[in-house]
Amino acid sequence: MGETVSSDTGREAGESARLAWIDRSLLTLCLGSLAIAVVAGLVQVSFGSYSMSVAEAWRAVVDTTVLLDPRWLLNFLLGEQLMRSVLGFQGELPDLPTTTLIVWNIRLPRVFVAMIVGMNLAVSGAIFQAVTRNELASPFILGVSSGAGLLILLTLVVFPMLASALPVIAAAGGMGAFALVYLIAWKGGTSPVRLVLAGVIVGTVFQSLQTGLFFFADDIGVVQSAIAWTTGSLTGTNWEQVRTALPWTVVAMGLALVGSRQLNVLLLGERTASSLGMNVERMRFALSAVGVLAAAASIAVAGIVGFVGLIVPHVVRNVVGSGYKRLVVGCLFAGPALLVAADVGARLAIPVLVGGSGQLPVGIVTGLVGGPYFLYLMRKQDQLGEI
Amino acid sequence: MSKTETPSTEQHRDDDQTADDAPTGPAVATTGDADGAAFSGEDLVIGYPTAEDPVVDEESLVAAPGQVTALVGPNGSGKSTLLKGMADELSPDSGSVRLDGRPVESFDSKGLARRLGLLSQENVAPESITVEKLVEHGRYPYRGFFGGLTDDDLAAIDRAIDLAGVDHIRDREVGSLSGGQKQLVWIAMVLAQETDVLLLDEPTTFLDMHHQLEVMEVVETLRSESDKTVVVILHDLQQAARLADHMLALKDGSVHSRGPPEDVITEETLADVFGIEATVTQSDLGPRITPLRPLHDDTGADVHL
Repeated sequence: MGETVSSDTGREAGESARLAWIDRSLLTLCLGSLAIAVVAGLVQVSFGSYSMSVAEAWRAVVDTTVLLDPRWLLNFLLGEQLMRSVLGFQGELPDLPTTTLIVWNIRLPRVFVAMIVGMNLAVSGAIFQAVTRNELASPFILGVSSGAGLLILLTLVVFPMLASALPVIAAAGGMGAFALVYLIAWKGGTSPVRLVLAGVIVGTVFQSLQTGLFFFADDIGVVQSAIAWTTGSLTGTNWEQVRTALPWTVVAMGLALVGSRQLNVLLLGERTASSLGMNVERMRFALSAVGVLAAAASIAVAGIVGFVGLIVPHVVRNVVGSGYKRLVVGCLFAGPALLVAADVGARLAIPVLVGGSGQLPVGIVTGLVGGPYFLYLMRKQDQLGEI
Repeated sequence: MSKTETPSTEQHRDDDQTADDAPTGPAVATTGDADGAAFSGEDLVIGYPTAEDPVVDEESLVAAPGQVTALVGPNGSGKSTLLKGMADELSPDSGSVRLDGRPVESFDSKGLARRLGLLSQENVAPESITVEKLVEHGRYPYRGFFGGLTDDDLAAIDRAIDLAGVDHIRDREVGSLSGGQKQLVWIAMVLAQETDVLLLDEPTTFLDMHHQLEVMEVVETLRSESDKTVVVILHDLQQAARLADHMLALKDGSVHSRGPPEDVITEETLADVFGIEATVTQSDLGPRITPLRPLHDDTGADVHL
C-alpha cells in the first residue's frame, strides 16, 4: 500500500519536474541579464562617428522596414548571396534611411558579436569548471588561449600574407594546443590535475614564444593589432563575424545543454561517475571538446577575451546553484550581459574619460571588472575553488 | 518500510538461472536459497602501476548470493584494493572477477553499473545539490544520453530514499546535512542503481553511533528483504561480526581466515591479524570482542601465543 502511494506522488512530481528546474532565481537571473544586455546594447547603438540623436538611433533599431522584411534580416544573418539563393530573390533590396543603415550595418552587429562571444565564453568556462572540478578554471585552462595567441603572433609577424585567415588560424591554434595538452596529460588515462598541469606546461612555453615574437614585430601597427587580438577586442566587428561564429555557437550551446546531466555526474568525482557506468575518459574528452569549440568560436571573432569565462559561471552558480542545466542556461544570458556591458565601457572609456577618439580592447575592461570581483569573493567566502 | 524487490531484478534473476553456469567457488558455506547474483573473484593478483609488489596476492573471494560478506583486516591489509579489483576499478594483474559466471570486464560500463553498485569511502557532491537530485544520479546507468526519467526511475528513486530512511530530508541541500545523513544519502544513491551486487567501502567509518546503526540497519534490511549480494568492508569487527553471514580476514594481502563470523572472530585471529590480545565470548548478536592490549612486534604475535 505504502508503495503505490509513493510511486503515485513520484509520477506527479515527474510530470511537473519537466519544467520545475526553471525556478524563480533562474528566471530572475535570465530576465535581469536580458535587461542589462538590452540597455547596454541601446547605449552602444546610440554613439558613433556619424552623429544622430539617441531617439533616432533607437527608432532605427526598431525600424520595421528591416524588422519585418525577411530579405533584410536574412541578408544580415546569412550574407547577401545565401539570402538570394534561399529566398530566390533577384531584385534590389529596398532602400533604408541612412540612420537605419548605420545602426543595422555597423552598430548593432557589434552588440550581437558581443552577445555571441559572451555566451560562448561563459558556457565554455562552466564546462571546464566541471571537467577539472575546479571553480577557478576558465575556458583557457587547457592551453587554448596560449595556442591561439602564439599562432596570432606568428601570423602577424612572420606570415603577414595569411592575415586575412587570422580568425581561422587563431581558432585552430587554440584547438591544436588543447590537443597537445591532452596528449601530454595522457598516461593510460588522464585526471583533472594532470590536465591542468599539462595546460600550465603548454601555456608557459607558448606564452614565452608568443612574447618573444613581439621583438620581431617591426612596426607599431602590428604590435597594436597583436595586442588587440591577444586581449580580445570587438572593434570593427560586423555581420561577417556574426555569420562566422553563429553556427558553431548554436552547435556548442546545444551540446552543452544536452551534456548538462553528464557534467553533473562528472562533478561527483571520477570514481562515483565511473561506478555509475559513465565512461569518464571519453565523456571528459567530449565535453572538453565542446568547451574548446565554444572558446574557439569566440576567439575567431574577438580574439582572446579573458575573465568572462571565469566570472560568469561563478556569478551564475551563486544565484542558481551548481546544477548544470540551470547553470548553462544562466550562462547563456549572463555571459552576453557582461560582455555587451563591458564593450560599452571599452568603446566609450577613452572618449568619455580623456576626450580622445580611441577604443580599448574589451578584454581590458573585463579584466578590470574581473579582478575586483574576485577580490570581493575572496574576502566574502571562506572556501573558493571547490565547486 | 516497503518491500524492495522489483520486477527488474526479478527479470535479471530469471535470465541468470537459465543462461549460465554459475561457478561455486572454494571454501564457501552457501546456506539458504541461491537467490541473487553469484559474484566471485578467483586467484586475484592486484597491484598499483606505481608499486612493484602486488597488494593483493593470489586471493579469491566468493560472495555468496543474497548474503552479506564482510572484509576485515588492519590498515594496509589490502581490503580496499581487493574491493577495487572486484569493482573493476583496478584491473587485476592476473585472475578474474566474475558476475554470474561472466567476467566483469566483458560488461559495457553502463551494463555493469546496472548489476554492480559501489559506494566509495569518500564521496564529494556540490553543496547545493538536493538529496533527491543526488539520488536521481543513481539512475544514470538506466538512462540514455538524451533520456529523461521514466516512471520506473522515479519509483526506484522513491524506493531507495525510503529504504535508506532519508525521506524527511529529500528536499534538503546536501551541503546542509551532517556526515551521517550524507552517508545515508549516498547509500540511497547506490540503492537507486538497483544492482544485484552491492560493494560498500567502510560505510560506517567516521559516523556517530546513531548513524553507524542506521547504516547497519539498511544493510540488515537489504539482507532480509531483498536478494542483493553485499560485500562490505568494515573497520569495526563487532559490527562486521553482527552483520555478516560470511567473513574474510585479510592480512598483508592474503586471506588469513574465512567463514562464518564465529569461526573467523577468534582470539587467535585477533592476535594474528590485528595484533591485539582480546577475549571473545559468544552472544546473541554474534561473537563479542573485548580488546585487552596491543601485542608489540618485539614480543611477536606468534610467539605470544
